[in-house]
This record gives sequence, structure tokens and C-alpha cells, in this order.
Amino acid sequence: MLVDVDLQARAGEIVMIAGRSGGGKTTLLRAIKGILQPQRGHLSVLGAPPRVDGRADPRIGFIPQQLGLVRAETVLANTLTGACSRTGLLRSLLGRFAPEEYERAHAILDQLGIGEYAQLPVRMLSGGQRQRVAIARSLMQQPSILLADEFVSQLDLVTAREILEVTRAIARRGVTVLMTTHEVEMAREFADRIVMLQDGRVAVDAPATDVDVARIREVLR
Amino acid sequence: MTSRLRARRRVLLVVTALAFIAVLAHLGLLDAGQLAFGARNVAIFTRDLFPPDPTVIGRVGIAILETIEIAFAGTLLGCVAALPLAIASSEVAAGPGSARVMRAVLAFIRTIPALLWAVVFVVAVGLGAAAGTLGVAVYSAGYLGKLYADAMDGVDPEVIEAVRATGASRVQVARLAIIPETMHALLTQLLFVFEYNVRASSILGFVGAGGIGFYLLGYLQSLQYDRLMTAVLATFVAVMLIDALSARLYRWLTDA
Repeated sequence: MLVDVDLQARAGEIVMIAGRSGGGKTTLLRAIKGILQPQRGHLSVLGAPPRVDGRADPRIGFIPQQLGLVRAETVLANTLTGACSRTGLLRSLLGRFAPEEYERAHAILDQLGIGEYAQLPVRMLSGGQRQRVAIARSLMQQPSILLADEFVSQLDLVTAREILEVTRAIARRGVTVLMTTHEVEMAREFADRIVMLQDGRVAVDAPATDVDVARIREVLR
Repeated sequence: MTSRLRARRRVLLVVTALAFIAVLAHLGLLDAGQLAFGARNVAIFTRDLFPPDPTVIGRVGIAILETIEIAFAGTLLGCVAALPLAIASSEVAAGPGSARVMRAVLAFIRTIPALLWAVVFVVAVGLGAAAGTLGVAVYSAGYLGKLYADAMDGVDPEVIEAVRATGASRVQVARLAIIPETMHALLTQLLFVFEYNVRASSILGFVGAGGIGFYLLGYLQSLQYDRLMTAVLATFVAVMLIDALSARLYRWLTDA
């Protein structure tokens, strides 16, 4: 449960939401995405309450903890899924997207360094490559906000840093990134801001460079 | 185990045994005279089955081919109808309200066997294989619809959530996430239902809905047991071949 969470994020800012398991990190991201509806209070995302019913807002990219990729499908097909909101019913049923969507998808995959795997099924990729496919799918949405839940928790240190570098490059283009993590050290290195949740309340909200380490330890204890 | 529990089980065992004997008696299976008469008839029937009459193999072969055609076309038509029905019956794809209503519709379709659906279509489109094919198609739609909906409800919710989060509509989520995730199950269940339909189609001729059933019933009613044996053996060989082919296809699909 979240209580009195007051959080504002600027365009292009990377906000790491940290805290112990069960502290409300995932709940917060899901509320921002509109998957969960707040029982009380006010939540405004991109100037309006998140859509709870009907189609989700494509301007908010969401990468769940296990990535939610369609494992039997190719890297390209997974990436193109991000163009659903711009694609008509018939094209969707036929699985054929507009030519410019293919161009956009290939360009994104190339930027993320997985262009050569476009035709491979996702199940054949490594953990880090799958992470990039999930990013590519979100970028296809042309999002203003990217939400990522425990994004690098299951990766080795080197791959996790590579993925966070990619995320930093995305933020530089003006996309606000909100990521949950329990890797506070990595959060301090890559985030602009760290928000720590404890029992559903904001316990720490500070620039990553100024965050009080003693206070972090206290929250995590 | 307590003595009371043991006593309850003994009572249940005795009651079941008594009920079993009473039912056998009611069905005439404890009547020694009737059983002896039946045994003599079986001996005559068995003797008359051999040797099978090879002169009917041509017409029997054509009828078996028609049976397989009925099963093939009926299964594929059923599959085409089953996909949208399954999506509407899947809780994760269409929501709990639609799922409840559509699962009841599928249950109704399955309640009526393919043979009875064939009777309905004999009335609607007349005697022949078309009626049988439509009967098999409707039953397959009900059966595959349920199997497909169950498979779809087994898809990882996070995959559906992630694709829905892109702004995809329900139809897009079904087409781009749920169907690809369940494709393997959809194909293997299609093969299973095709095998089942080949067997089910072999008796559609009993009601004039085409296939080998017409000859099976005709030979049985006219006491041409040697010809009946030819038709039964040919059906058996055809079913075995279909099973083997189906098993190979299944292995090919699962190895890929």
C-alpha cells in the first residue's frame, strides 16, 4: 500500500525507486502505468490521471520485472508490438505493420546493438539481449516516460551497467525514466535522483549525488 | 485410521458390491440362459466375419477417403471457428464477463455429439458428406474452443500485461501475444482433435452424413459380415496410418 507518496519527475530525469521488497516500489510503477487504480488521492501522469480502463497510454512505456516478451516470436516481432497504438485492426490481424514501422524498429534495434538478431526468436537470446528487446519495444512506443521494474536485478554486473548506460542515453533524449531497484550503489551511480520507499511511504527523496548513505542503510535495515 | 473410518469404508464397499450385482442383474448380464444364447450368436458372427470379402475394397476405400476428408475439412473449419470463440472464452484475453458467457456456449456445443450435429445438418443441407463435415466442424469448434481457451488462460500474465501496456487493443493482444505464446498447444490440440474426428467420422454414415459408416451399417443390417470385416479392417488400417502420421507431425512440431 502506498501512503502520501508525492513524486514529481522532470523530462529526461532518471529516478531510481529503491527500497526493501514489499516496500511499494512495484505498486507505485503499476499505479503510474494505470494497471492499478489508487483508492484515494490524486495521481497525474503527463498532465492527466493514468488510463485505467480501455487502451493503455502508449506514451508511458512499461517494462515488467520478467520483461513480458513473447518468447516464441522474433526480436523484430516483439519490437514491432510497440507500434500497436499506431496500427489498424486489419494490419494487426495480418501481423503486417506499416513499412515505416519496420524501418523504425530496425533503426532502434541497431541503436541498441541487437540489429543482427532481428529475426531470431527471443527465447534464443541471453538475458542482456532480452533486456534490450524489452527496451526496443518500449522505444517503439515513442514514450515520454519509461517505467522499468527491477530492470537489472537479474543481470550480471557488467551487463547491468551496459543496460543502464543504454537507459542513460534514452533519458538524454528527454525521456523520463523511473526504475525500481534494490541495488542502491548502482542507483547512486546512474540515477539523477533516488527515491526510497519504506512501508509504502517516501523515506528518502534526494539527488543521487547528495543522498545520505546512513539514512539509506537505516531504510534498508 | 480410526475404527469408525474403517467401518464406514466396509459399509461403502458392501453397498457398492450389492449395487453392482443389482445393476448387472437388471442389465441381463447375470442371466445364464441369455449369456449362453449370446455366446452362440457371437460364435456364428465371428465365423461369418472370415474370410473378409476383398471384392468391396474399392468402394470401401473411396468411402474411407471420404471419411478422412470429412474429418480433415470438419477439423479445419472447426479450428477457424474455435479461435475467435476461444479468445472470447479466455479470461485473460476477453475478461471474466465474456469468458463466463462464451464458456457456457462452448459447453452447450460440446454437449451434443458430432453424430447428432450431423443429423441436424442432414435436415438442413440434405444427406451426404456436407452434412457430416458441418457436424464435425461444429463439434470441433466447441471442443477446440474449450481447449484453446484453457491454453490461452495459461499464458504468463506478465506477457499480456506488457503487450497491453504498449497501448494494444484486446484483439491486438490476442493476435500478437496470446496466439503466438500458445501456438504449440494450438497445433498439437488440432492434431489430437483431427485423430479423434477420423474415428468419430467413421459412424456419421449411420445417419446418412457420408463416409464409411454408410457401408458399416449397411453390411451389418444385411448380415454381410465378411464385407463388414473388410470395411472394419480397412478403417482400422486408415486410422492407424492417420495416427502414425499425426505422431510424426507432433514430433516434428515439438522438436522444432
